[in-house]
Amino acid sequence: MSEEIDFDEILGKYHSDPYEYVDVCADHTGTIKFLVEEGTEVEAVSGEWKHIPGTPLYEITRERNPKKITATTNGVISEVHSGLEGQFVEAGEKLLTIRHPLKKKEIIERILQEVLTVFPAPERAKYFFSLDIQSRIDKKGAREVSVKEGDEIIIMSLMKRDTPVYYSGEPGVIHSIYFQPGISVEQGAPLIGVCPVDKLPLIQKIITRVKADWDQQNG
Amino acid sequence: MDSLSHLSPDVLKAYLLTTEMPARVNEHGSKKAAEISRFGGFVGSEIRVYPSLERTMDQARSLIGQSENEGKSVRNGSVILASTLSRGKGRFQRHWHAPKGGLWGCFIIADTFLSTFRNILPFIPGIACCEALRQEGVEQSVVRWVNDVLVDGKKQAGFLLEGYVSPVHYEQYHLLGFGLNVNNALFPQELEDTATSLTLQLGEPVDLGFFALSFLAKMSWYIGLLFHEEKEWLERGGTGEYIDEHPIITRWLELTDTIGKRVRFGYDVIENPQYDAVVEGVKSDGGLILRHDDGGVTVEYSGEVRY
Repeated sequence: MSEEIDFDEILGKYHSDPYEYVDVCADHTGTIKFLVEEGTEVEAVSGEWKHIPGTPLYEITRERNPKKITATTNGVISEVHSGLEGQFVEAGEKLLTIRHPLKKKEIIERILQEVLTVFPAPERAKYFFSLDIQSRIDKKGAREVSVKEGDEIIIMSLMKRDTPVYYSGEPGVIHSIYFQPGISVEQGAPLIGVCPVDKLPLIQKIITRVKADWDQQNG
Repeated sequence: MDSLSHLSPDVLKAYLLTTEMPARVNEHGSKKAAEISRFGGFVGSEIRVYPSLERTMDQARSLIGQSENEGKSVRNGSVILASTLSRGKGRFQRHWHAPKGGLWGCFIIADTFLSTFRNILPFIPGIACCEALRQEGVEQSVVRWVNDVLVDGKKQAGFLLEGYVSPVHYEQYHLLGFGLNVNNALFPQELEDTATSLTLQLGEPVDLGFFALSFLAKMSWYIGLLFHEEKEWLERGGTGEYIDEHPIITRWLELTDTIGKRVRFGYDVIENPQYDAVVEGVKSDGGLILRHDDGGVTVEYSGEVRY
């Protein structure tokens, strides 16, 4: 991570286009029927337990088993690959894009994720810190807990199968925690963001600057 | 020591051939049954019986490390059994009462499963235990998602599955701990209303060694079936998805009483219950489908239920 951060460039990027473009890809192979068109406003999954489905996006049929796939993020449909309507697609084929409006907190998180070492979830599962790390967090707070390559930091729990997860990446302190115990995390989603101790002031500077700038620009 | 000391890989092999296989051959035909049996043949390749241990999972870790330090590798499918455990535990540091008379142990299974199928492994011990109990005449034994075994609403067996990376060669293992209440009839006061054993159900003790063979043989069969289904799936093309109902899930559905029940769900449901919902079914990959009172649905891949 460089000490030199071009705040104006980063903030300018988010000011000019304060959106995230979320590609929605086929969950598995099957025949596609779109349920939205460009410009459709879509709602994300909601509810205390994420149990109220979002707006239906497309239906995929395989072996006469149709499934409606719903939005997991809110926004407006910015692109639909309508040529795939009625076609058989492979798993992972890009079907449509949702333009998701970013909030201040999300922008800070995204900027931080660019500068922190982000450790992603190896599988869709529930995660909790290993006993040693958790007790250190409880005693001193996460930002006092340092981790290095090979440390057993997290336990992945999937179908009553608990597997230790070992940290790989730059050594540092746990700056950000992106998961909550007992809540499922998708594969590849960030679990923790790690920051070398000497870079902590820089991180704080980023947060302060983004907050101040965003509040000023957006009244 | 009790009849567990007579257990050995050869004794298990003989049991598989003479007692377990005939029924499997009837169900699947001799060719497929032999193939599945071959895939699961490594289970019980070594059986170590101890009079007492603190925890069999710790012993398994120690054995793996010791083998690697000696330049060897632990036998895949090894089984560790102990007549009593002094520090038996379930999930979340819950104490597991493990006196003489029960079947306490741990399988060491190298993680050679494809990721698509790895989630099915935790369903196997519940099925194997339930089948072993029904074979003894306890027809009302059922499995509660994922793998608790209940008889008349009381817990007869519990399982714990932990990943372990070996210290020298960094090989990944599944340590599958099991605790089956068999001939133990006395429970601490706090468990009296929630735990049961085979002997309490039958009104008489059983041959612990013979019951252990039955359970191990069924574990061997279903682990073989897991690998066999992997092979079949790969022969069908083996893309990144598995949309069929896995035969192990099919068998689990025949043995469970969870479907249709109103349950309390939580990651640690005793300490931190999260919500109540009705179980609609399980997905092909084992996820539990829960319908909330407001009509919303969640699919849970981790956690536990009580009802």
